[in-house]
Amino acid sequence: MRRSRRRRATGVSAGERRGVGMCGIAGLHLKDDTYRHRLGAMIAGMLRGVAERGPDSAGVAIHSDGLEVLKAVGDPVAFATRIGLAGRSGVRALAHTRMATESAVTAAHCHPFAVRPPAPACGARATIPATPIGPASGAATPIVPAAVPGLGATPVDTTLCLVHNGSFANHATIRRRLAEAGVTTETDNDSEVAAHYLAARLAAGDDLAAALRRLTATFDGFFTLAVTTADSFAVVRDPIACKPAIIAETDRWVAMVSEYRALLGLPGLADAAVYEPEPEEVYLWAN
Amino acid sequence: MQAGDHRRDRPVGGDGVGVPGPARPAGTRRRGGVRTRAGGGLPVGELTGATGAGAETAERAAPAELVLDLAEMATRHVNAALRSLPDGARARLVNPAGRHNLAVGLTRAVRVTIAGPAGYYVGGLGEAAEVTVDGPVGWGAGENLMSGTVRVRGAASQSAAASAHGGLVVVEGDASLRAGISLKGGRLAVAGDVGRYCAFLAQAGTILVGGDAGEALGDSLYEAVIYVAGRVRSLGTDARICDLTAADVAAVRVLAAQAGFDHVDPENVTRVASARRLYHFDTAHHGAY
Amino acid sequence: MPHPDTIDGRHPQPHPQPPPADERYPPHHTFGPPVLAEIRERAELGRYPIRGWGARRAVPDFDDLLLLTASASRYPLEGYRERCDTRTVLGARRAARPVVLDIPITIAGMSFGSLSAQAKEALGRAASLVGTSTTTGDGGMTPEERSASTTLVYQCLPSRYGFNPADLRAADAVEIVLGQGAKPGGGGMLLGQKVGARVAGMRTLPEGVDQRSASRHPDWTGPDDLKIKIEEIREVTDWQVPVYVKIGATRVDHDVRLAVAAGADVVVVDGMQGGTGATQDAFIEHTGIPTLAAVRLAAAALADLRLTGEVGLIISGGIRTGADVAKALALGADAVSLGVAPLVALGCNAPTYRRLDDPDETPADATLAGVPFPGVEVDVTPEYAALGTAPGHCTHCHTGRCPVGVATQDDELTARLDPRLGAHRVANYLRALAMETTMLARACGKSDVHRLEPEDLVALTVEAAAMAGVPLAGTDWIPGR
Repeated sequence: MRRSRRRRATGVSAGERRGVGMCGIAGLHLKDDTYRHRLGAMIAGMLRGVAERGPDSAGVAIHSDGLEVLKAVGDPVAFATRIGLAGRSGVRALAHTRMATESAVTAAHCHPFAVRPPAPACGARATIPATPIGPASGAATPIVPAAVPGLGATPVDTTLCLVHNGSFANHATIRRRLAEAGVTTETDNDSEVAAHYLAARLAAGDDLAAALRRLTATFDGFFTLAVTTADSFAVVRDPIACKPAIIAETDRWVAMVSEYRALLGLPGLADAAVYEPEPEEVYLWAN
Repeated sequence: MQAGDHRRDRPVGGDGVGVPGPARPAGTRRRGGVRTRAGGGLPVGELTGATGAGAETAERAAPAELVLDLAEMATRHVNAALRSLPDGARARLVNPAGRHNLAVGLTRAVRVTIAGPAGYYVGGLGEAAEVTVDGPVGWGAGENLMSGTVRVRGAASQSAAASAHGGLVVVEGDASLRAGISLKGGRLAVAGDVGRYCAFLAQAGTILVGGDAGEALGDSLYEAVIYVAGRVRSLGTDARICDLTAADVAAVRVLAAQAGFDHVDPENVTRVASARRLYHFDTAHHGAY
Repeated sequence: MPHPDTIDGRHPQPHPQPPPADERYPPHHTFGPPVLAEIRERAELGRYPIRGWGARRAVPDFDDLLLLTASASRYPLEGYRERCDTRTVLGARRAARPVVLDIPITIAGMSFGSLSAQAKEALGRAASLVGTSTTTGDGGMTPEERSASTTLVYQCLPSRYGFNPADLRAADAVEIVLGQGAKPGGGGMLLGQKVGARVAGMRTLPEGVDQRSASRHPDWTGPDDLKIKIEEIREVTDWQVPVYVKIGATRVDHDVRLAVAAGADVVVVDGMQGGTGATQDAFIEHTGIPTLAAVRLAAAALADLRLTGEVGLIISGGIRTGADVAKALALGADAVSLGVAPLVALGCNAPTYRRLDDPDETPADATLAGVPFPGVEVDVTPEYAALGTAPGHCTHCHTGRCPVGVATQDDELTARLDPRLGAHRVANYLRALAMETTMLARACGKSDVHRLEPEDLVALTVEAAAMAGVPLAGTDWIPGR
């Protein structure tokens, strides 16, 4: 209803309006258990550091025993407080802040986008629709947790999470190709297409690095992407590297952020290797 | 894979240079070649061309340093305070925490030290001032600088010295992509490496790279000149390597001295300038555009 | 190597002209004479057509709308007696010194380089005479222009040619240009014959090069970075003046929202009919959307954000008459901006220029009204012919051989344009536009031109009704609603 009313008012599809936006992104991967109980506090500080780039809504994904994706409309710092982000533990996390350009902001367009790869089919292409993790369309609740419990020490969770800063230029065509393969997206957001594309490539047998290389060759436009799976953390940028990205790495953790200030406060930052990822190179860490 | 493994892949669709070396931490690099002093900064005379005044004299004569705590102040008030300072005044910004737009648009010969990381456009659109950052900086350090100096004691992110018309931008660590883009007469000296597309569309001025230069160096150059002490990964469209003249050696010597680089041998740099093939539009060159 | 458009790098070759249509044979639409001539041009010169001005093709425009003026249901205001305000305030949201204009009709950004110094000075003087603003361009601010202009908007473009903090602080507003209607997404172009010593010096370019400018800004990409850039501009100007963001009309709804989110005080939307000094014909004719559609989309975006009147909206691209102005304001613009039309008022495309034998012959600006223009008319039709065109058809701004001294850097040609006489003509034109606008607004019963509203309009065609979001005349039908 809301969309049709808005269409009436402006005659513009929501897709045009929401295709790209302004945002800040952050990702954190722990190499060992030292900071497992401080993961939430670390990612909360990083989220605060990119909040100015996206003051209207926020989302986080936390890999612990399972995966939890939380998104909400409103001030990112208040969101972090409300969900008790600083108190959470885990091994890997993504965070995203978004500046909305529509009058009615919804959580549907918040990152991270979480997608479980469809089961591999006989052909090269996936044919089974993916099950997205995240808010259902039109969900009334501001926070939509989606926990995927793990079983013991062996992670069975194959869900992939993605945050994106930038804007794609040919996502509509890729969205159509995915639809032909039976993969449907929940929103009109360009970043969600990338998440589904990667999941489909993983289902087709690519490893994460290969899938990201293929994405770099397939998607046009500007992107800094951070991706997590149950055992990996990866970063890749477009060939022109139009959007900012900084990586900091120690023996215990690796972090990627839009701006340096989001790194401040991370334990051991003074001794971390800090560098900017090269364009179109895949950076991948796995446990 | 083993825990903690870090794998870097070959570039996709790049120029086929091959697997790059391991990432060097830009922000933490300690280059033997960069002179630093306990007092911070070089003698004023070396930067301004004045003679006879050593750092100690300058510091004794200078008025007390104004200290501004950014944890307590909005950017607007910080910059207003800096703009109100008279020639020769000194200021120190503490707790910058990567804040954007610090010390932009200064017009007087003041010395500003930023004690920590700064964000985008530090010292941008400035004239006459001497801005030093003790830490890494974001995009566009010293962008559109007209005169004076912006010195970064750390790594600089993208587009360092973008469109600088004059003055000197010094980066003591590495500078990432598009350093010196659209340069219009200013000078940029980077002690470490520069990323891709350095000097893209650079029109005039000088760039000195103490380390290596990334792909597509000098793409679409006009009349700016680039000197690289390390290796050049690849040249951009219409850039070419040319012979080093005595004038070049002298220019590099002066710039390296002003930047405080003693790891650069002025006799042993690669000079890159425009081949000027794109100066007159011709669709026969369409593959080059 | 000389430019293929020129002989010895200076004098342009005549363009291949289509033969006159022969009435005895049936016309061919897809491959008509102009198309055949273009194909031959590409074949012979190995390049695509480059030219000045905006789209030639017919697109739905303000002529496809009509105003519903007062009658029995509404009362008109007396045309020559009862007040109709035209005062326009832009950028009061954040700037200490908002732009205050006497009329909502401004002069758009056009570069010194593309235009002669005389033309820029004349436009500045004209804007000052009628109490409106003019705008610099892709080449920096000239002292003549600054001193001639009461209210001067300073453009910040991807090239940053001649951009400097002193001029920035001297400006009355800053306009960050993301694109223009003639070539949204494309960079600038100035062919070597116009890059003379002064232009080259201001732009830090070698004299005589074919200048190719960037299409993206050198130090930011995307709206999240633009927000930081706008803060920098505000800091350097001490938060005194408004910051405009100019976009070429493509994805207008989204782009306006992003410009606002990044902190723009005023959004300038330039439709596809907007002009240019030089760009590829393919860009001019085949990119962007008509101004008519752009104004409605931009106004709707601001309304949806509840920022109508808070964030200013300036519309440009093919505005010619007071009727165009009134209709643009009715659709939600706060002001309009004109580029090509003031150049025509200066003498662009005229068969003659006025030669002043005595430079002191020009009376003071204030006394010119009602006084016959001094000097003599000199016919320059042969010079148009030498360019392969004729008065009324010329779009050869890119060649630098403008016979009337408007779009050239040639000393002999620029001397043909007297800045004071030119200013008088442009001021006359702008005054006439303002009077037409108030006349129509009064007839609609409005005591302020800014009170015109979409409900004062109907459309003549289904296309215009759909684009402008107003009913087809005689119906209450708005296609798509």
